[in-house]
Amino acid sequence: MTTTTSTAPPKSRVARVLARREARVAFLFVLPAFLLFIAFRFGPTIAGVGLSFFAYDISGEITFKGLANFQRMVADPLFWRALGTTVLYTVFAVPISLVLSTLLALGVRRAFRGARFFRSIFFLPVITSLVLAGSIFVWIFSGNGPWSKLMAPLGLGGSWLGSTVLVIPAIVIVGVWSRFGYGMMIMIAAMQDIPRELEEAALMDGANSWQRFRSIILPHLKPTVFFLAVIETTAAFQVFDVIYVMTQGGPANASYSLVYMLYDQGFKYFDYGYAAAIGVALFVMTLAVALIQRLVIGKQK
Amino acid sequence: MTTMTPPQAQPLSEPQTIPTPTRNRSFRALEPSRAGIVIRWIWLSLAGVLAFFPFYAMVVLSLKPGQVVELPGSLIPWQDVSFASYEQVLSGQNILGWLGNTLIYSLVSVVAVLFLSALAGYAFAKKRFAGKEVMFWSFLAMVMVPFHVTLIPMFILMAGIGGVDTYWGLILPTLANAQAVFLMRQFIQGLPDDLFEAARIDGAGEFRIFLRIVLPLCKPILATLGIFVFLWHWNDFLWPLIIAKSNAMFTLTVGISSLQQQNVPLSTMLAGSVVALAPIFFAYLIAQRYVQEGVTGTGIKG
Amino acid sequence: MRVSKFTALAAGAAAIALLAGCSAGSGGGGASSGEQKVTVWLYPVIADEATHKQFWDDTIAAFEKDHKDITVDYEIFPWANRDEALQTAIAAGKGPDLVYLIPDQLAAYQKSIQPLNDLLSKDRQDELLPNVKKSATIDGDLLGAPILTSALPLLCNAAAFEQAGVTEYPKTWDDVREIAPKFTEKGLYVLNYPASPEMTLNMTYYPLLWQAGGQVFTKDGDVGFDSDEGEAALSFITDLAKDGALDPEALTTTVPLEQTAVAQGKVGCTWNNAVPEVEPFWGAENVKVLPPLTGKESVAYGTVGSLSVLKASKAQDAAAQFAEYATSADVVKPYLLASGFFSALSDTEPLYADDPLLGEVEKYVPDTTVGELDTSSRALMGVLAPEIQASLLGQKSPADALKDAATAAAPLLNK
Repeated sequence: MTTTTSTAPPKSRVARVLARREARVAFLFVLPAFLLFIAFRFGPTIAGVGLSFFAYDISGEITFKGLANFQRMVADPLFWRALGTTVLYTVFAVPISLVLSTLLALGVRRAFRGARFFRSIFFLPVITSLVLAGSIFVWIFSGNGPWSKLMAPLGLGGSWLGSTVLVIPAIVIVGVWSRFGYGMMIMIAAMQDIPRELEEAALMDGANSWQRFRSIILPHLKPTVFFLAVIETTAAFQVFDVIYVMTQGGPANASYSLVYMLYDQGFKYFDYGYAAAIGVALFVMTLAVALIQRLVIGKQK
Repeated sequence: MTTMTPPQAQPLSEPQTIPTPTRNRSFRALEPSRAGIVIRWIWLSLAGVLAFFPFYAMVVLSLKPGQVVELPGSLIPWQDVSFASYEQVLSGQNILGWLGNTLIYSLVSVVAVLFLSALAGYAFAKKRFAGKEVMFWSFLAMVMVPFHVTLIPMFILMAGIGGVDTYWGLILPTLANAQAVFLMRQFIQGLPDDLFEAARIDGAGEFRIFLRIVLPLCKPILATLGIFVFLWHWNDFLWPLIIAKSNAMFTLTVGISSLQQQNVPLSTMLAGSVVALAPIFFAYLIAQRYVQEGVTGTGIKG
Repeated sequence: MRVSKFTALAAGAAAIALLAGCSAGSGGGGASSGEQKVTVWLYPVIADEATHKQFWDDTIAAFEKDHKDITVDYEIFPWANRDEALQTAIAAGKGPDLVYLIPDQLAAYQKSIQPLNDLLSKDRQDELLPNVKKSATIDGDLLGAPILTSALPLLCNAAAFEQAGVTEYPKTWDDVREIAPKFTEKGLYVLNYPASPEMTLNMTYYPLLWQAGGQVFTKDGDVGFDSDEGEAALSFITDLAKDGALDPEALTTTVPLEQTAVAQGKVGCTWNNAVPEVEPFWGAENVKVLPPLTGKESVAYGTVGSLSVLKASKAQDAAAQFAEYATSADVVKPYLLASGFFSALSDTEPLYADDPLLGEVEKYVPDTTVGELDTSSRALMGVLAPEIQASLLGQKSPADALKDAATAAAPLLNK
């Protein structure tokens, strides 16, 4: 990303004075935001990372532990379980959400009498906090809830939240429900960029909707899809609210995610050092995903 | 009619094609056939029902206090309706207080974030100064950091300066919003420099230029950003949970979740949730055009 | 990149900000000389907020009249997330002087609590019920002034028993095994066993463990549940689950009380609900208060609520004085009656002599236990509960589940 100001380099003394004045003003403009960042982002991040090398407990005692927290983490079956659960969740939630967003975007992108209504309905879950929607979803997936009744003929009745196997699909459903509207909106915007003549031309050439989709719409969507994929993956990796509200990591730790483990270790068991270590691990993984994205999209451009 | 017009002059990281007008009759060719329309309505309705069902259930079940929920009877909206749960939750709980707190939290944060990030974004976009790139990229890097990593140090810091259980303690840390700065920068980068140059030549001070020229031009992005920041704060849970100690300082999310541990009946919990969700739903219904235009138009799609 | 003076300024600001945060320990009430201010944190023990506040207003007013140099402020916090709120406050030096804690919390916050051995009068310490005193004492230190206790013996639903066609209430585990099929035949459940992650094991598994003669922690501080007794207890309940004698939903999820099987009269007996909880659903005439089940022994859990003085408090004496006052027999009586809890003191008359149900429960108070307390009690529950679930859901044998839990608990105990 380059700056867009393209003034010629200041040569005269007046120009240099003006440039210095510009720089000072610019500093002042950035200063409030930057101070806030130092105080509430950089500082705490460094402190949070640093904390992972210590044992810090509720009475305020700090003892240096070197890599002990990380060694414990690597040896902890619960950590690997949480990692596996998080990855499993991500692997299902992200593609399903993307596909759903695309399909629905295709459905509502044109102007027709119900389009705005449907878009609103699909966006409602996005503005709904899962903490507030949690209790109704617990009921929906409970043994007496509508989802169990629906699934009963398929032999999958009973509380999905009570099954160590089915709890992840249940969370995936809620997670997708919560986010697909956002992706849909973004897809709609991307699809609107496609010139109609292209699609018309294809239609005239006899292409059916699937062929039109594949050869015209999809290529245009690629950057958007990648962008959404990264956003959704990052969010999925940090899945917490839905687990906090619906399953508390259970049953038998089947829905224990990484961020939930961080929260658990830090705020239920007061082991801030260990929680910080998990946070560092999470940070590293998120960074890795972002870097992969940069490489892949970089190639696209 | 719906907002199908392409977005206006929004700066994006890639150039945007603006469809050229075509003759009306060729539009017809792309419209689905009769059967196609019916099919579309069917599966859109199906998806709509699935998306909306939780809200429907929430409202209906909140109106059936004291009952054991049975299907499908309990979901019929006009049987055994009573507002007792709402009475209970509105009188027995501090919902209106929570609502007020959430409003303050969200509105003040929005104004502050918009102003500060516009200021910083403008500087990053249009000004030259030493360390600019480093500073900007370090802002961006912070997006990657999971909030929970910073949670404990942030709390200790706030406690040290006496911010626990206060409004400013709640609001201040959330003003450090990297995405906002990024979006403002992106947007302002696309604004033509001549406007600023002209004003500068006329002798206007920098801050005045910012207030009088930059901000008005940023209205679309400010609207969108404002809405998203508002929503994020309205639904925020963990930070208000940590920073608020007393019931009087709870936000809606914290307050409603505290009901869960009080062993209240399901209908009361749902009534509380409905009360908590109602304001943003109404706000959304009113402002949805801006939200939709905003998301589609301001290059959040990258 | 050359360090611009701007960056230096910013770094300086950050350093100052962080230092200010780190030296938070010195924060807190600077009371004027001679006058002491006590802050008390409480939780909704009495559900009705107005009644609860009235009690504390009255109690404080009476106390302050006799102690002109002490002012007491209290705040009632919700139960939800109280540990997060409390420990972040303590860690930042913004904790209260006096706070209501239960025994597991006494163990968890042990390092932050001021022992009351010298601050609470000897008379009072002798007045406490022996089991209550034991529950509030760790390593010889009395960590709280007990204000209330509870008792959870066996409660059985006469109507459910009638429906199942069972006439005798169970006394031992074998009795339960015998009558279970009769309940299952009629579509009922013989016991209530909620095993969701946030359900404390004190009310579910530990009583069984103790009844089998086992312990949660050994005297050396090691885990004690991966023993034969532990396995016996877990097998008992797992077999019942396998045979469909327990509500499968309760094994994994918490739903509001009125939606549960036990509230709907589908469960025979429970040791994890209190009389006020089930009475509205079962009807008072159907509630039968019985001695706790016997495995090898008959043991019931009973919590103890105490007011604890924190080490960081600047008004420890005053706080202790208020605690002693507020927990004395006459003062605390309305509190107990309004909340349905029982007295922690030994020389009071029965509070519920007129109430057939609560009066029955009250008889069990002196015999309840909170088990062995350890700093890592809560963390231990966090690793044990999922393993118990795994066993109940048939994924692991009880022996394996307990063994895995013991392994997972090892790093927790090393602290």
